[in-house]
Amino acid sequence: MTNSFDDLETAGCIFVIGSNTTACHPLIATRIYRAKERGARVIVADPRRTQLGDLADLSVHHRLGSDVALLNGMMHWIIENGWHDQDYIAARTEGFEALAATVAGYSPQRVQAITGVPADDIKKMAELYATCGPAALLYAMGITQHTTGVDNVKSCCNIALLCGNVGVAGGGVNPLRGQNNVQGACDMGGLPNVFTGYQPVSDPAVVEKFSKAWGRPLSDKPGMTITDMIGAMLDGRLKALYVIGENPKLSDPDWNHLQHALNRLDLLVVQELFLSETAQVADVVLPAASVAEKDGTFTNSERRCSRVHKAIEPVGNALADWQIICKLATAMGYPMDYPGGPEQIFDEMAALTPKSYAGMSYARMGLDGLQWPCPSADHPGTPILHTQQCARGLGKFHAIEYQDPAEMPDPDYPYFLTTGRMFAHFHTGTMTRISAHLDAEQRTGYVTIHPDDARRLDIAEGDLVAITSRRGQMEAPARISTNVPPGNLFLPIHFGENPANMLTNADAFDPLAKIPEFKVSAVRIAKAQAA
Amino acid sequence: MDLKFVPSICSYCGTGCGVLFEVLDGELVGTLPMKTHPVNQGKLCIKGWNLHEHINSPLRLKHPLLKTFGRFTKVDWGKAVDVTAHRLKEVIAAHGPDSVGVLVSAKMTNEENYLAQKFARAVIGTNNVDHCARL
Amino acid sequence: MTPIQQQVKNWLEEKRVDIFLAYRILDGHPLPHAFTREHIEETAELVTGPARYSLEKFATHIASRYPAARIGMVARDCNQRALNVLRVWNQLKDGQVETVPVTCCPSHLHHHADCSYLEPHPAGAVKQQLGQAPNQSLAEVEAQPAAERLDRWLYEFQKCIKCYGCRNICPVCFCKECSLEHAELIGTGHLPPDIPIFHLVRAVHMAGRCVDCGLCEDACPAEIPLRLLYRKVNAIVKDLFDYETGSGDTLPPFSILGDKPTMSPMPLLAAAQE
Repeated sequence: MTNSFDDLETAGCIFVIGSNTTACHPLIATRIYRAKERGARVIVADPRRTQLGDLADLSVHHRLGSDVALLNGMMHWIIENGWHDQDYIAARTEGFEALAATVAGYSPQRVQAITGVPADDIKKMAELYATCGPAALLYAMGITQHTTGVDNVKSCCNIALLCGNVGVAGGGVNPLRGQNNVQGACDMGGLPNVFTGYQPVSDPAVVEKFSKAWGRPLSDKPGMTITDMIGAMLDGRLKALYVIGENPKLSDPDWNHLQHALNRLDLLVVQELFLSETAQVADVVLPAASVAEKDGTFTNSERRCSRVHKAIEPVGNALADWQIICKLATAMGYPMDYPGGPEQIFDEMAALTPKSYAGMSYARMGLDGLQWPCPSADHPGTPILHTQQCARGLGKFHAIEYQDPAEMPDPDYPYFLTTGRMFAHFHTGTMTRISAHLDAEQRTGYVTIHPDDARRLDIAEGDLVAITSRRGQMEAPARISTNVPPGNLFLPIHFGENPANMLTNADAFDPLAKIPEFKVSAVRIAKAQAA
Repeated sequence: MDLKFVPSICSYCGTGCGVLFEVLDGELVGTLPMKTHPVNQGKLCIKGWNLHEHINSPLRLKHPLLKTFGRFTKVDWGKAVDVTAHRLKEVIAAHGPDSVGVLVSAKMTNEENYLAQKFARAVIGTNNVDHCARL
Repeated sequence: MTPIQQQVKNWLEEKRVDIFLAYRILDGHPLPHAFTREHIEETAELVTGPARYSLEKFATHIASRYPAARIGMVARDCNQRALNVLRVWNQLKDGQVETVPVTCCPSHLHHHADCSYLEPHPAGAVKQQLGQAPNQSLAEVEAQPAAERLDRWLYEFQKCIKCYGCRNICPVCFCKECSLEHAELIGTGHLPPDIPIFHLVRAVHMAGRCVDCGLCEDACPAEIPLRLLYRKVNAIVKDLFDYETGSGDTLPPFSILGDKPTMSPMPLLAAAQE
């Protein structure tokens, strides 16, 4: 997030796109509720009907995967009415002319035809966003899990820059992070092309710095993403995989494809809390300590790095992940030992991460944490990014044309399928389905289907529905609801016995970010034959 | 009779709510919201309130497991680490460091993520490091 | 040492109590803390606030594992009322908990009452227009025309994210099985939860129980003015049964635990004849 949770409450307008906030980020929804009750205008754009949408000033349901068109349509109307912030654009951005030329082709009527959102609603959204500022834009996986994920994100940035909302209190472009430490995993260099703090592996000075610090020559060749690794497993280039705290067998697209890939490995090592679907097919399973059983830090969506404290001893012989990694490294001939524990590791990391974490320490963090960038020990942390200028200097507009998702419904596969989370469960369900109170809330998978479609296919509430895509077939009980539009289905991702990713498309991913298009597949459905 | 309240951060979504673990005689008996935490200000969602339940689950892995002839057997840490290190070294010797991939975790701490990518880059010698940010 | 710190130290040393629940500041945050003889030096760090946790709920957790434990705690009015309820419901034994009374946050409205609601944040303009502002009296809410009142409550319930925080934080919610989790009564798996049944079921169960401590409202991510609802049910209990919830004198009129119902039919009969 460029801005902070506290800051959301000062927004004049909050525009939520591709986020079921009350279910997936409930305590962020609290801030939206508060802003609304104080008088902020709330716009929600989502292909599905959501709880937040029902409470919004304006709620629209754009067709799956049509986000770029919707945002271009809003920008078209903003520019046509002169609501854009011309001083801000002149002082702080570049590329406006190209953007204006592109969005000129997205009249509200044309965008209505693409997105299904009435032209009047597009105009009203544009007006609310542009004239009730400062406007905060919030998005989640509904924006990113598309073949056009990067285009979608850039379009969000475009509209924020257009109205002068980047670098101001109450504004910003605010992706809501889905995992407790996904921000931290990225910040710590858990990516194939960067070390900590996004220092590129292709920069010789950076490689030299880390080589020196770690006492080993390091590769300057960017590595493979998960998506690339699966391909490399299949064609035999990747022979061993060490998976820590992940369940790719359930979370990655196209279950069958991944199953083949994992089978071809010489060695699969899984470090986990539970015998997850992925751990079950591993050669070695290493038991890890949970959040309550270790010290360390997490970094949240608003870049706040906070401490977790060890509350209990690990169960059985489980060890903290850092202890296991130290053991493995040492056994492989690289002695790794941190007698000072996580704090010593943190200090080593901070010293190598000058721009963002260098000024942080356990002592300074306390219980409130610190928001990066925090470059020096006297720096208070940064609640709002880009207040003076953008990271690259001038904020760049990207002129982006709308493209259809990789798969659109056709006569063979006439339904749109989208996937996501429901409020009581989390990700692949390994943590939530064994929790009595969460399991009680939802015990089985389901597929949400519109009453019109259900009636036509003679499907009643709870009937087993067979869903088929070009990748595979699975069954789930029907939940009949107007929360999805006709012609659309929703499958929650938490249920291994009804694996949504039997159906999703591993070949369709964003060319740059390599994010799979979980949010759009084409499927056909039928009432399942009784066994 | 030992009762403690230990501050921590919820390990579900990326909001980062402040929690207190209620620990009685070394046993985790509950999770409650930290009232003065800047993020959640004394409130939690259903997942946060039940954070202790998955930690206390009888299904937690308690021992390293090694698969031989298609079956898992419990082993001690010495054996598990030796076998893993040995087989990783074999793969590296035969196919080079880029034939190994490491998936780090959005659920681990920063310190652990830092060490995991250090392990991939300095110990194995590859930049094949990724995690599930996209998923 | 402050007089309270000294008193707690004495109580522990004299074995008047085995454990004492109060607060301690950690990195600027007041957190609940259990003081013991083993770490008697920590009593020098004891504070009485300003944050408010349900210390009596923690006391019941200790008591269920150590039935003979003698527990001390600092108690504001709301803690004391909750202790009274827990005692009459047999969650704590008579005399098991000894309290050091502390005054609540100073307020010009009431010199001796609880903290967060005497001077609550005024409700925003849109909440005043659409919902129920938390700082209203029951009379003000009931002065709203019925249809408008219903709409306002429905708006508030519509925001519920079903965290169960109102129940989880409640000092007097201790049932092993909870009606809120009976699938036959309340549907599962969707947001918002069934409206208005989820909130009304809880409200009914607060009759004769709710001590008006306000912790549920503090914990509500949707900032629903739950306390107004529970005040209403307890006003009904007072009218019909002349029972003062939280006073701790007797079991409330709805106790049907044991061999026979203890609910007295007379007041209901009288109400029916009115």
